Amino acid sequence: MFIGQPNCGKSTLFNSIAGLKAVTSNFPGTTVKHTHSKVNVQGRLFNIIDLPGTYSLNPADEAEKVALTHLFIEKPDLVINVVDASILGRSLEMTMELMELDYPMVLALNMMDLAEKKGIDIDPEKLEKKLGIPVIPTVASHGKGVKQLLDETIFCLDEGLKPQQLSWSKDVEDQIKYVQEVIPDEFKKVANDRFTAIKSIELDRLSFNRMLDEISPSLKQRIMEARRRLRNGHGVPAYEVIAAERHHLAHKLFEDCCCVTRRKKSSLSERIDDVIMHPFWGYFILMGVFLSFFSIIFLVASPVEEWLLGPLTMLRESLPDLLGSGGLFYVADGIIQGIAGGIAIVLPYFIPLLILMSLLEDIGYLSRVGFLMDTLMHKIGLHGKSVTPFMLGLGCNVPAVVSTRILESRRDKIMTTLLIPFIPCSARTTIILALVAFYLGPVWAVGFYFFNMLLVAVLGRALSLFFKRPSPGLILEIPSLKIPSLPNMMRKVYFQLKSFIEFAWPLLIAGSMVLGLLQFFHIDRMINTVLSPVMQHVLGLPEELGVTLIFGFLRKELSLIMMLQALGVHYDQILSVVSPQQIMVFTVFLNFFIPCLSTVAIIWKEIGRKWALVSIALNTSVALVISFIARLIFIGI
Amino acid sequence: MTNLIGSPKHKKLKIINISGGTEVRRRLFSLGIHKGDIVQLDTRSMFRGPVLIKNLSTDTSVAIGRGIASKITVDILE
Repeated sequence: MFIGQPNCGKSTLFNSIAGLKAVTSNFPGTTVKHTHSKVNVQGRLFNIIDLPGTYSLNPADEAEKVALTHLFIEKPDLVINVVDASILGRSLEMTMELMELDYPMVLALNMMDLAEKKGIDIDPEKLEKKLGIPVIPTVASHGKGVKQLLDETIFCLDEGLKPQQLSWSKDVEDQIKYVQEVIPDEFKKVANDRFTAIKSIELDRLSFNRMLDEISPSLKQRIMEARRRLRNGHGVPAYEVIAAERHHLAHKLFEDCCCVTRRKKSSLSERIDDVIMHPFWGYFILMGVFLSFFSIIFLVASPVEEWLLGPLTMLRESLPDLLGSGGLFYVADGIIQGIAGGIAIVLPYFIPLLILMSLLEDIGYLSRVGFLMDTLMHKIGLHGKSVTPFMLGLGCNVPAVVSTRILESRRDKIMTTLLIPFIPCSARTTIILALVAFYLGPVWAVGFYFFNMLLVAVLGRALSLFFKRPSPGLILEIPSLKIPSLPNMMRKVYFQLKSFIEFAWPLLIAGSMVLGLLQFFHIDRMINTVLSPVMQHVLGLPEELGVTLIFGFLRKELSLIMMLQALGVHYDQILSVVSPQQIMVFTVFLNFFIPCLSTVAIIWKEIGRKWALVSIALNTSVALVISFIARLIFIGI
Repeated sequence: MTNLIGSPKHKKLKIINISGGTEVRRRLFSLGIHKGDIVQLDTRSMFRGPVLIKNLSTDTSVAIGRGIASKITVDILE
């Protein structure tokens, strides 16, 4: 079982052992779910688990709770504690905590290259002696040390080697023993008596205290007494005394085993940080990054798109000659539309988007955006940590909703989740670029984005009126900037592309085919008639577009492809049927009208049915209002 | 003695006290910010935004919102 603090490279290490399984980035909290994998090492089958990163064994957010539940309930045979060697001093604090569990354990000193660059010289042997567990230096991104790690792990597992128990100050140890000796047998223990005693003293929460009342009032009395003595002795709450004990122990270990050589006044990455996090210039750079982000995608995609569309259009034109005008024609036409849509319209935008997104993630820019945007997020009633889900939402809303688990308070989680469906995901970016930028010009697309961000801000502001409790505030680790590793980036792009090709594309093709059939049997007209009050009267759009909305609920890209098919024209002839203004209104509506099926499903799963319904209602009503306004502005009554 | 927001940039600061709610304090501890640590203020963003501090003993950077930062008192060492 892999456990460690966020962003220390657990997933990268896990991947180098288990093959491509877990998604990685330079962003604390990439893994919010655990990943299981069976691997064969030296002819033996092991079940290894990659857990979400956690800063300590006191869970603060949901992703951390996932980690701890697994750690406590599944009782692993061995724990591999992965630490970022470049910040060893802090990472060791959790190592201390893990050692208290008394499970067999191995310490992987990951990111040794980074530590060296920072001038931290670590002596693994000395650390090994002090801790009593194997310590293996690794560089997971290059696969260094992985074999040795596996060898030591197996050795440790076979021998059942357990970590040494490091003792704390006498007065703290006394209180632990004082509690430990009266823990009744029927008490639900975690790992061992000592650990249970320590955690009981630390866990000064109302619910826990109440639970103690029911189980064993005498134990509670002892715990309260121990807490009181620690508080009186140190002048701070008991949990802080214990946290400080670990901190000092870790710090002492770090000083004993490491030698920090004085380095140049400031490293390159620090100098870059000074500029990109600058209170004033940082925002200009942020704007610049985003503008170039979208221009690059557009510049790459639009020529490719035109180039690819040509032959496919010709193929479609030759269809009536081959198949006549029966049902077969409609089906074949639908299939070709679906394939063409995937290849020529979606992929040219999708691939560059994925590559650039993972580049920004792996460098570590995203968490800096969190810092820069904190002020703005406060204005809309959230804080900088919610930027993570929002940024992920630009890729796909589904992982974005899952990533709200890194938020500590439920209030922030619900608010962020309700706002995520308003973030244009890659599918919708594709629509915006392929419709707005292509027909009205890139400036309009950028304008659309700014309007979109403004809308999120206004909605956030409005939502925060309903959630009275203020947000607890930002505490976010800023990982050091890293040079992204190409294989890791490619791996991430590959995963997302694979899920598009395996999941969305077949749906796209099937959807086009179904629409072809609907047209053949004239069912689409019925749907259009039902939706026509909205389409025609509220939005001022052609009635034929009604049916595309149904498909838009499945996948947003589908609406784009369906739009062409429903109007019965080719991509380059659209302007003969609808005006650019109508395209604008349609894009606005399509963009906001309802979260796609998978997003609704994940919202339901994460925060419940009630909120999923709220989300649908919110999106649909906002879409109607906004696109009606857009209609008044662009088309008139 | 001053709080984190009022302290000068790029100077060594010693954390004297962290007040505030239990959860916030626990969170800071687990991110390696404790009483007695030597930190440095790197960036203070505009419009009452967060501050970026670096713990000089562990070499980690943490962004802290204004509200929380104002509850951390420090001594200026140099």
